[in-house]
Amino acid sequence: MNTLPTLLLARFRRDRVQIIVWLALFALLEVVGHTAVTETYGDEAERASVIRLVIMSPAILMLRGTPQGTDADAFQFFLLFGFLGLMIGLMMTFLAVRHTRGDEEAGRAELVGSTPAGRIAPLLATALEGIILSVLVGAIMGGVAFAFGADASGALLYGAAMSAVGIAYLGVGLACAQLMRTSRGANGLAAAIVTLGYALRAMGDATGTVQPDGLSMEAGWWSWLSPIGWGQAVAPYTHQLVWPLALCIGLGAVLFAASAWLQSHRDLDSSIVPERAGRLHAPLSLSGPIGLVWRTLRNPVIGWVIGGALFGLVLGAVGQTVVDLVNTPDGEEAGQAISDTLASLAGPNAEGGLIDLFTTGLFGLVGVLAAVGGVQAVMRARQDEAGGTAELVLAAPVSRFRWFSAYLLIGVVSVAAVLAFAVLGAFVGLIGSPDAGERMSTVAEAGLAQLPACLVIVAVAALVFALVPRASIALGWAVLLVAIVLGQFGGLFGFPEWLRDVSPFSHTPIVTAETIDWTAAWVMTGIAVVVAAGATALVRRRDLALGG
Amino acid sequence: MNTVIETRGLEKHFGRVRALDGLDLSVEAGEVHGFLGPNGAGKSTTIRVLLGLIRASGGNATLFGRDPWRDAVELHRRIAYVPGDVNLWSNLSGGESIDLLTRLRGGTTDKRAYAARREHLAEVFQFDPSKKGRTYSKGNRQKVALIAALATPADLYILDEPTSGLDPLMEAVFRQEIAALLGDGATVLLSSHILSEVEHLCDRVSIIRAGRTVETGTLAELRHLTRTEISFAGEGLDPAGFAAIPGAHDLVVDGARVRFTADSDAMPEVLATLGRLRATGVTVNPPSLEELFMRHYHDELDEPARSSLEGVR
Repeated sequence: MNTLPTLLLARFRRDRVQIIVWLALFALLEVVGHTAVTETYGDEAERASVIRLVIMSPAILMLRGTPQGTDADAFQFFLLFGFLGLMIGLMMTFLAVRHTRGDEEAGRAELVGSTPAGRIAPLLATALEGIILSVLVGAIMGGVAFAFGADASGALLYGAAMSAVGIAYLGVGLACAQLMRTSRGANGLAAAIVTLGYALRAMGDATGTVQPDGLSMEAGWWSWLSPIGWGQAVAPYTHQLVWPLALCIGLGAVLFAASAWLQSHRDLDSSIVPERAGRLHAPLSLSGPIGLVWRTLRNPVIGWVIGGALFGLVLGAVGQTVVDLVNTPDGEEAGQAISDTLASLAGPNAEGGLIDLFTTGLFGLVGVLAAVGGVQAVMRARQDEAGGTAELVLAAPVSRFRWFSAYLLIGVVSVAAVLAFAVLGAFVGLIGSPDAGERMSTVAEAGLAQLPACLVIVAVAALVFALVPRASIALGWAVLLVAIVLGQFGGLFGFPEWLRDVSPFSHTPIVTAETIDWTAAWVMTGIAVVVAAGATALVRRRDLALGG
Repeated sequence: MNTVIETRGLEKHFGRVRALDGLDLSVEAGEVHGFLGPNGAGKSTTIRVLLGLIRASGGNATLFGRDPWRDAVELHRRIAYVPGDVNLWSNLSGGESIDLLTRLRGGTTDKRAYAARREHLAEVFQFDPSKKGRTYSKGNRQKVALIAALATPADLYILDEPTSGLDPLMEAVFRQEIAALLGDGATVLLSSHILSEVEHLCDRVSIIRAGRTVETGTLAELRHLTRTEISFAGEGLDPAGFAAIPGAHDLVVDGARVRFTADSDAMPEVLATLGRLRATGVTVNPPSLEELFMRHYHDELDEPARSSLEGVR
């Protein structure tokens, strides 16, 4: 009996919502990317001036890729491919781990393995699902590019490059699942490898050599260590190399073969890298709710902080490039577009010098990062409540207040740390730029200004948890999402002011103004304290809501 | 004697579902009290009310004479708890979880005594504390909670189906450890649907069904309510004489054997009558709690309201 179709269908069925979300996200990014290129950098002269500038700025090259001339589709490829490669890499590794090590850890693989499906068919079904989805993503990307006027062979190669990167990382995910004992460990390793691939190509792009035309670059050798770099090397609209695709697919095939060999030779629930033994005794830091919540959230908080620091670093480093861009005669139009975008990001009625607009605009995104970390901490309380560990803690002489305030505390610390490290990162990035001292004080104010809005979001998430525990995870993230969309991007989308004012982010002080008005910041801090106190009191009064 | 746990007409509603519907429970100091009932009868709900994790919708509950909701933190200093379904922190090792739970209870003032006790318990329960929480089986997760509960002294132990994941060997270890506790004058509330556990350990039991107490008393008192099974060789005896056996129920003549059940308190008369009949090959099976338990379970199957309690624990 052939069990493969059954297993494959079961996988698609289980992933159906995720698949739709992922595919929609890729399609959306591609559409937005093409629209942005046509609107912001509509004619060739504009693109040429932008490319001449960014070639001088390694920081931008690291984020984007290597320019491939002034063709609109090639420009879009330069802007977006690296990031999309990172995304498809994460999508494929998570998919691979979910259906292999994840199933094994949850005991589902044991059930399936006891049927005629055996050991290899589930692995094969996972690989097939990944390949089909990679091809689908590639088809969507190529299709959108074609619809926006790319030539057929270029669009085809563009999609193929995307699919090939996906297939390479599918292999990486499958291999990581063999190596690690837990799905968490496998996902962590795989995500690290994907990020490393992105970082290696960033190094390659930053150290690339400029071609004689001054409008295109050849990536440095680092890029050849990364599947995303191979995908970029295809250069679908210019060089049109096909053989780097073989590198991606070859890597995927080799890793799949290795995974299949390991899968058929190892025991169920075993792994190549043995699970590290835990400590025999708890460290002293693990003595109360705060120590416990910190232990649970330490890794994500550190992740957010590193993210904030890197973001600040890049922000500090590229700021001057943007100013130079506007100051060149032929960069004026492009510069105006950037300036408008930044002003709308910075907040309603933002004014001030371009570099400060740039800083405050992008610090809004640091605020988003910080708020995500804070909300995650509060949502952890719900996960612990539903998962049953809160019951263990609360059956000990620990009051509800002491229990819940630990999550709030770690949430607030996380928010503050992300903002502080982003400011520090920006300081480092600003070293050597003109007026560094003045810039640094603006950056510090911009960082501080984000704090009150983040605190309000964290407090509202806490209130949601207190009032509707069972719906709190979905609702808590929804609150954050609405606040971000209305507050940070409401200007870009052209929402009316009253609607944007719903979001705390809309009331973040504008540090570029002549005199900074901190009134709203104090009011928001007050609101955050009152709401958080109310939430804590309500948590005391309600039943522990277990499960579901 | 002091009453440690006392509930009167305890009620708990989850929406329209009545998880507890007038539950009475009384646990005296120093006793092991069996808390029996099928899944979904409201055992865990009662325990969560007693721990102040959820609030009663009606009726009274006191622990050590105090309100379990309002005085939760104070009361928990005297309580050790093992949940029915132990979930651990996936990123902590078993040893870390045990230490954490003990510290939360404030029980490590005498560090050396605790270390020795933990060592002893890990050894008798054959528990490896170095593994991470997510890799433990149900039985091992239960051992974590058990070791943490038993490692430091408490006045009251609330154990919710503590052996449901343990093998018979470990159950025996569990019984030994509980017996040792009793020497120290501790009180234990032991919820279970396993009778042997309760019969071995408990002084008194309460049987609950659909959120209500249906029977409570010492094992002897409950046995009183059940019937003894008697059979003897009927060959050569006049069947008419069987009718004269006082207190006999469900008498059947099964080939050469005669079987019937008798109320336990009617035994002296029954035996005297059998003597007069000159019955031979008499066997007497003492009443088991099993029978009592089964009777309540069987009644339960007729309760239409039962199905609505599924999923509520």
